[in-house]
Amino acid sequence: MTVTIREPIPELSADQRSFRADVRALLTRPEVRDELTGLAARPPGDEPVLLETYRLLGERGWLAPSWPVEYGGLGLGAVEAAIVTEEMALAGVPDDVHVLGVDIVGLFLLMEGTEEQKREHLPALAAGERVATVLFTEPGCGSDLSGLATRAEPDGDGWRLYGSKVYNMKSQYGEIALCAARTSDGPVPMHGITLFLLPLRSPGVHVEPVPSMADECFCLVAIDGVRLGPESVVGRVDDGWRLMNDLLQLERTGVDFHGKARRLLDLVVERAARSGRLDDPVYAVRLAELDAKLRASHALAWEMVHDLDRGAADPVASAMSKWYASEQFRPVLDAGMEVGGADALLSRWDEEAGTTARHEADYRMGPAHRLASGTSEVMLYLIATNGLGML
Amino acid sequence: MTTRTQPPARTLAGATPDEVRAECAELFHDDLNPVLRRIGDRPRGAGSRAAPAEDDTDVRASVWATLADMGVLSAALPAHLGGSEQAQRILVEVAELTGPGLYQSLLPDTLLAADLLARDGRHDRLLTEVADGRTTVALALRDRGADEPDAPGALEVDRDHGTVTGSRRFVPFAADADLILAVGAVDGAMHACLVPVDQPGVGVRRQDDLGRGDLYGVSLDRAALAPDGLVRVDRHYASALARARLRHAAYLSGLCRGALDLTVAHLKERVAFGRPLAGMQAPAHRLAALSAENAALLALVRRTARVADSGTDGIVLHAVQAALLANDLARTVSAEAVHLHGALGMTERCDASFFYRRAAVDAPRFGTGTGLRKEAARLLRAAHNADDPGRG
Ligand SMILES: Cc1cc2nc3c(=O)[nH]c(=O)nc-3n(C[C@H](O)[C@H](O)[C@H](O)COP(=O)(O)OP(=O)(O)OC[C@H]3O[C@@H](n4cnc5c(N)ncnc54)[C@H](O)[C@@H]3O)c2cc1C
Repeated sequence: MTVTIREPIPELSADQRSFRADVRALLTRPEVRDELTGLAARPPGDEPVLLETYRLLGERGWLAPSWPVEYGGLGLGAVEAAIVTEEMALAGVPDDVHVLGVDIVGLFLLMEGTEEQKREHLPALAAGERVATVLFTEPGCGSDLSGLATRAEPDGDGWRLYGSKVYNMKSQYGEIALCAARTSDGPVPMHGITLFLLPLRSPGVHVEPVPSMADECFCLVAIDGVRLGPESVVGRVDDGWRLMNDLLQLERTGVDFHGKARRLLDLVVERAARSGRLDDPVYAVRLAELDAKLRASHALAWEMVHDLDRGAADPVASAMSKWYASEQFRPVLDAGMEVGGADALLSRWDEEAGTTARHEADYRMGPAHRLASGTSEVMLYLIATNGLGML
Repeated sequence: MTTRTQPPARTLAGATPDEVRAECAELFHDDLNPVLRRIGDRPRGAGSRAAPAEDDTDVRASVWATLADMGVLSAALPAHLGGSEQAQRILVEVAELTGPGLYQSLLPDTLLAADLLARDGRHDRLLTEVADGRTTVALALRDRGADEPDAPGALEVDRDHGTVTGSRRFVPFAADADLILAVGAVDGAMHACLVPVDQPGVGVRRQDDLGRGDLYGVSLDRAALAPDGLVRVDRHYASALARARLRHAAYLSGLCRGALDLTVAHLKERVAFGRPLAGMQAPAHRLAALSAENAALLALVRRTARVADSGTDGIVLHAVQAALLANDLARTVSAEAVHLHGALGMTERCDASFFYRRAAVDAPRFGTGTGLRKEAARLLRAAHNADDPGRG
């Protein structure tokens, strides 16, 4: 058994603690464990999409517990949502579909969507039965989305979209995507961006895999004249920039990044204990320091959750939390390489490695955490400017 | 095998390190390096029998033949076999040049094997064949993944029948090599066992690893030793390993140079917030700092190589230190290269991802960062005590 003490969260109410225990119990059920073990045995390129585990969480309203009941949630708060996110990460449940569908697209629709958009999409997303993806990044811009080149040209009462989006995940399996496109040009590049709900399986949308060194590929989505009616606009026309900034930041507590880093460190510590290396101070001191950092990261992330729950999210502090958590991956992965030696290099497809070998895949995924959901430099910029009044 | 043999046709005796570097730079050229980086790369999960593409094997063979023709493979041999007095200085230059192309080959193994065999004095003919590029030797330095090369684990030798039994893993190019030199403790003393690969007692299985290249598990089951194939190396192993570490540190420094160049070029092209990313202080300073670290590493490597060529025996600590700096830097630089390329850096089409995966595999080849630190600490203490015997 792992030496890790699963973090206590002293601020949780009795109901929240019991919710946490219920989620944890579900994620340790044999069918869930079997599904997760089965994922590791899949051949390269076979990606997890709508897992049965999602459905099990979804049918209880746990995938989106903070959403109103009529949209498939439980009417609870940010704390319960963070509990689910954290427990999924600690249990090793792949979370892309959850993050994209619930935390981003679902959240945008909940906050800014029309009643019709909400009714059409939120219940299916909360049930874990629909894949929604995010089309913001383009070949020419990522950190600086004011450089968006995808155009939405007026067409009758609607629009026609032209452009290409890249480095998005799961679009090959998705039904809809939240797509940012330029609706008007002007002197200020941030102005004139609008968010649309784009049906991915329409003529004029072409999805192509972009192989990544990580297990899951990116997608390149070419959009060639797809017609969208006015009902496809999310929020107001030309108001996309504000929405992207305000809402993406709500998703940014650091809980997910911390959970994944913690799971990685637990595996490394467990391996060190099994091999006797935890008794060697040269290894133990390093692991103890990483453990300390992850505890600090956990405490900070949960401050963000409580702030969010009180309606007092602080963008600077949440940038700190995301940055701090995601910066821990590299040292944890390096420590794993030191503890495991050359064995840590073996992929799970190696005959000797068995399905428990994860470090190699985690190492390949490593750089993603400092890039996705706002890169480290973008986080530091937010802290330096809005927090410290510099630059 | 004790007969006197002719040195290979071309040797580097008399050539300066700068001359060799200039000649070698034409082989490991910026135009060829992107091709070299992808040579032998297998798809993820390709399994134990995935051979490299035929074209890749041809390119490898021709690069190897060129290195042999240039005299690189004989540089570190004794003078009568064509060795150079400036061998380590020459070889760290060559190794550094192989880094930007992530050149995967038996070069590090061949040079260390030759170093060990040359001191034994019974293998001149084989060494000439190796120097000519006709015979290749893979080095088997560990059994368990956590083994460090200074303690590779035991081998069982049957002296009466001339066979060896044991297991070695993470052996580069074992399937392509003619011979395996398995290093390990035999009856409590460090030995090297020279074993022809093509025989029933030798099993070779490709391992599926992060580098997706050519690492093999080798099982030796009463495998016949080559003639004079049991070589006691305990007196030379530490210094030969030190020289190998030094050359490997040079390779890793070259790897860093390649990853840095790639990233600088990308940041000059990539525009965000109205100007090229290269114009932003944060990434520019990060790359500047890493370049400075790499310059310091290479300076230490070059200076230590000079000491090694002067015949002084005291390079072991410095070589371990160079190796540990190189080990850390290669992983840091390659991770930073991916990061500064953004999501593009994670894609298969971007060479930054190759640097990242290969650095993780190549960096610990002659010792993990932690193993090297522990060894450096032990050597530092010993040196300190020797300077001041009163401290005991
Ligand atoms: C695993 C993963 C999943 C993703 N999923 C999606 C998705 O579903 N949908 C989607 O639209 N996008 C997705 N992305 C893309 C992601 O949003 C971008 O990678 C990110 O915004 C950075 O953009 P870029 O990759 O173009 O890097 P660039 O903007 O080209 O930046 C390159 C590097 O320069 C740094 N940099 C940029 N500006 C500055 C500056 N001013 N000062 C200092 N440094 C700077 C960056 O931090 C980065 O390290 C995903 C990315 C990853 C890695």
